Amino acid sequence: MNQPVKMVVVLMVIALVAGALLAFTYQATYPKIQQQAKEALEKSVLKVIPGAEKMEEVQKDGMTFYIGMDNQGNKKGIAFKAVGSGFSGPIEIMVGYNPKEGKLTGIEILSMSETPGLGAKIKEPSFTDQFRGKSVKDEFVPKKDIKVITGATISPTAVAKAIKSTLEEVTKIYPVGGDF
Amino acid sequence: MQLVKDFVNGLWNENPIFRMVIGICSALAVTTAAKNGIAMGLALTFVLTCSSILVSLLRNIIPSKVRIPCYIIVVASFTTIVDLVMKAYFPALYQVMGIFIPLIVVNCIVLARAEAFASKVNVLRATADALGMGLGYAWAITVISMVRELLGNGTLFDIPVFGQNFTQWVIMLLPPGAFIVMGILVGLMNLITRKSSNNDGCHNC
Repeated sequence: MNQPVKMVVVLMVIALVAGALLAFTYQATYPKIQQQAKEALEKSVLKVIPGAEKMEEVQKDGMTFYIGMDNQGNKKGIAFKAVGSGFSGPIEIMVGYNPKEGKLTGIEILSMSETPGLGAKIKEPSFTDQFRGKSVKDEFVPKKDIKVITGATISPTAVAKAIKSTLEEVTKIYPVGGDF
Repeated sequence: MQLVKDFVNGLWNENPIFRMVIGICSALAVTTAAKNGIAMGLALTFVLTCSSILVSLLRNIIPSKVRIPCYIIVVASFTTIVDLVMKAYFPALYQVMGIFIPLIVVNCIVLARAEAFASKVNVLRATADALGMGLGYAWAITVISMVRELLGNGTLFDIPVFGQNFTQWVIMLLPPGAFIVMGILVGLMNLITRKSSNNDGCHNC
């Protein structure tokens, strides 16, 4: 076989084999990856809505909500995602909310890329716990009604801001005191 | 004997991080916690070993003019496999490692070993070399990440080491800390082997 033809053939064969192998791996891992993502989502929803045992996803006015229910099917609260822009990238937050009382039931940080040891502490319960019981009418201003983290102001501010602004949208869809 | 020599070479004499100082981008970036160091080290070892074996097997088939694209396809395929498998079975770790797993493709150690070593020797020697280089990288970044975690966070493998009153050395967790720790460790390494920096260095890349 002469050189140019060999070059083309070898490269093509390697690429084909590699492509096939990747397609196979993708197929094999796809269900598991989907399942992991679903489990992670469900876990965070159940965590931010106390008393919830299962959840249901609903679309309402262009927003996605997760309704948390106990085993009898009684609605316990709703959860939604809020995204803030942190120090080094987006911060994704799952927010639990009870529209009847107009109060937050808990939050969890889903993903973030804040500085480890500083901004990354927004993930810790010592920071997230303070949002439980916060009212829609609260200001969500760091150092005023939100405790901040020493050495990091941007990350907690981003979280508070994201929750506040998304909550304002949510109260338009699920008015305070109303049903959900 | 030759195999042992090839294996040990990467662990110490030509340690990719401390001796050759190649592939340090990921070594500086993910080393904020000891478990990240180990995970990254093992991921790289896997990709490096698989691709070295394949490159060595194909060394007489691949025409020299298209060898680089061939190597890259091989490396990229194995990296993507690691990426997908990690996403499916170790989601927590995957979230921490983020972009640095796909970036193994462009980690210069992998291509350097394929080009400088695996493509010239038989499979056994290529495997020994890849394992040595991979584990050399792994232990090096694990040490870096242990120092950074210990000083920056007061923990080791997530276990608190110091008491409540420990003040974090935050700089250790930030990028400058990575450079400082690595610089000191490279210096220590040179001191131990008593080689002046003129005598060693990058022979193969």
